[in-house]
Amino acid sequence: MVKQEIQLDVNGKSYSISVFPQETLLEVLRENLGLIGTKEGCSEGECGVCTVLLDGLPVRSCLLLAVDVRGGKITTIEGLSEKGVLHPIQKAFIEHGAIQCGFCTPGMILSAKALLDGNPFPSEEEIRIGLSGNLCRCTGYIKIFKAVQGAAL
Amino acid sequence: MRYFEYFEPKSVGEACQFLNEHEEAKILGGGVSLVVLLKNGLITPSHLVNIKTIPGLARIEWDDREGLTIGGLNHHRDILLSPLIQRHCPILAEAASKIATPPIRNLGTIGGNVAHAEPSADFPPALIALNASLMLTSPGRERKVPIEEFFTDYYENILGQGEILTRIDVPPLPPRSAGTYIKLDKITNSIAIVGVASVIGFDEKGICIYAGVGLGGVASTPLNVKGAKDILVGEKITETHIDKIAKEAQAMANPITNVHASAEYRKEMVYVLTRRALQGSLDKALGR
Ligand SMILES: Cc1cc2nc3c(=O)[nH]c(=O)nc-3n(C[C@H](O)[C@H](O)[C@H](O)COP(=O)(O)OP(=O)(O)OC[C@H]3O[C@@H](n4cnc5c(N)ncnc54)[C@H](O)[C@@H]3O)c2cc1C
Ligand code: FES
Ligand code: FES
Repeated sequence: MVKQEIQLDVNGKSYSISVFPQETLLEVLRENLGLIGTKEGCSEGECGVCTVLLDGLPVRSCLLLAVDVRGGKITTIEGLSEKGVLHPIQKAFIEHGAIQCGFCTPGMILSAKALLDGNPFPSEEEIRIGLSGNLCRCTGYIKIFKAVQGAAL
Repeated sequence: MRYFEYFEPKSVGEACQFLNEHEEAKILGGGVSLVVLLKNGLITPSHLVNIKTIPGLARIEWDDREGLTIGGLNHHRDILLSPLIQRHCPILAEAASKIATPPIRNLGTIGGNVAHAEPSADFPPALIALNASLMLTSPGRERKVPIEEFFTDYYENILGQGEILTRIDVPPLPPRSAGTYIKLDKITNSIAIVGVASVIGFDEKGICIYAGVGLGGVASTPLNVKGAKDILVGEKITETHIDKIAKEAQAMANPITNVHASAEYRKEMVYVLTRRALQGSLDKALGR
C-alpha cells in the first residue's frame, strides 16, 4: 500500500500530508488535521453533516477522496470565525436559537454561507433549496431558515 | 474501503490506454456514486483513473446545425445554471434541479450519471426524449451511440474497458418546442419511483414535427417510448394521441417492487405521469 503526498489548502492554510488514495477528505480533515468541526453521519452523501466548501461550493467530504481535491480551496466550519469573532451567520444561528444538539450546524452554516455568498438576499424558497442537502433532527428547520434570513439582512 | 491505486491521466488517450492495460481499473468521475460503491465493498478496483485531470471534458457548447454539446465531466450544477441549456434544452436543467441536493450536484457529473446506468437516474429519460447521442472514446476510436442503445441492464452498459463517455450531443429542436420532466419521489429529490420526460416540437401550423418520451424507474434500464414519434409526428395533437402514448408507455414498463414502491404502483403511475408530461410539454410549446 502506497501513500501519496498531497497539498491541501484548508481555511487558507497549506498542509502537506501523505494519504492513502482511499481516504476521504472527511477522514483526513478529522484524523490528520484534527478539524473535528466537520462531522460524520451517514457517510453516504445523504445527511450533510460532513459538508465543507470546495472553492466556495458545498460538497460532501464523505464522498470526496482527499487525493481528488487537487489544489481546491477547502473551507471548514473552523475557517469561518476571524480572530475569535464569530461569522455573522454563526451569530445569527445563536441569536435565532437555530442550534440544539449542534451536530448538523457546521454543515448547515457552510451551506448557508455558500448560498449567501452567491445570493445575498435569498427568498425563503431559495433558502430551503440551498439548505436541502442538510438534515436536522432537532430544530424543525424554521429557526434555521429565520437565522439565514437574519444573517442576510 | 479496500486499498486501490490512483492515477491521474493527462489526456483521453493516456486514460484509455491505462484502463486497457489494467483490467480491474475503474474511471473516477465525480465519485459520488463510485465512492458509495467502494465503501460498501460492492466494487474492488485495482486502480481509480481520475478523468477530471484531463483538460476539455467539461464544456457546454451550442452550434445552430449540430445542436448542444455537453462534456462528460460537466457537473449537474453546470447543467442547472448554463444559459445555453436554459435557452435550448431547459428540460435538462429541470432534470438537474431534481437530482438530490446542491452538495451532490456540485460533485456529480452528467457522464457519471449516465455511465452509472442506474435505472432511476434523472438525466437519462430527458436525454432519451431529446434524442441525444453519446460519444464513447477509446484509443484510436470514437463511436457515437444513441443513448437508448447504451443501457443493457441494471447498472450495466455497453462501455468497454478503456472506453470513456467523453461527450453528449443533443440535436437541435424545432423553434417551437418544449419539454417536461416529471419525477415521482417520496421525499423531494430522493430516488425516482417513476421519471417521465417528454419533448414535443411543432411547425408554424401547430403540426407536431418532433416527439420524444423517455422513462426512468420502470424497468432494468431507462426506456425510449418509440411509439411517441410514430403516433404524434404529422398530427395535430389531441387527447386521444396522448392517451395512446401513455398506454404504450405503460405496456412497455416492467418495473420491480422494492422499498420505494410496488411494481403495480409504478405501472399505474407511468400511465398517469406520461399523460401529464405530454400535456405539460404541449401547453408550454403552444404557449398555453
Ligand atoms: C445521496 C445521493 C443522492 C443521489 N440522488 C440522485 C438523484 O436524485 N437522481 C439521480 O439521477 N442521481 C442521483 N444520485 C447519483 C448522482 O447523480 C451521481 O452523481 C451520478 O450517478 C454519478 O456521477 P459521478 O460523476 O459522481 O460518477 P462516479 O461516481 O465517479 O462514477 C459512477 C460510475 O460511472 C463510471 N464513470 C463515471 N464517469 C464516466 C465517464 N465519463 N465515462 C465512463 N464511465 C464513467 C464510473 O467508473 C462508475 O462506474 C445520487 C447520489 C447520491 C450519493
Ligand atoms: S456523512 Fe456525508 S452526507 Fe452524511
Ligand atoms: S441541531 Fe441537532 S441535528 Fe440539527
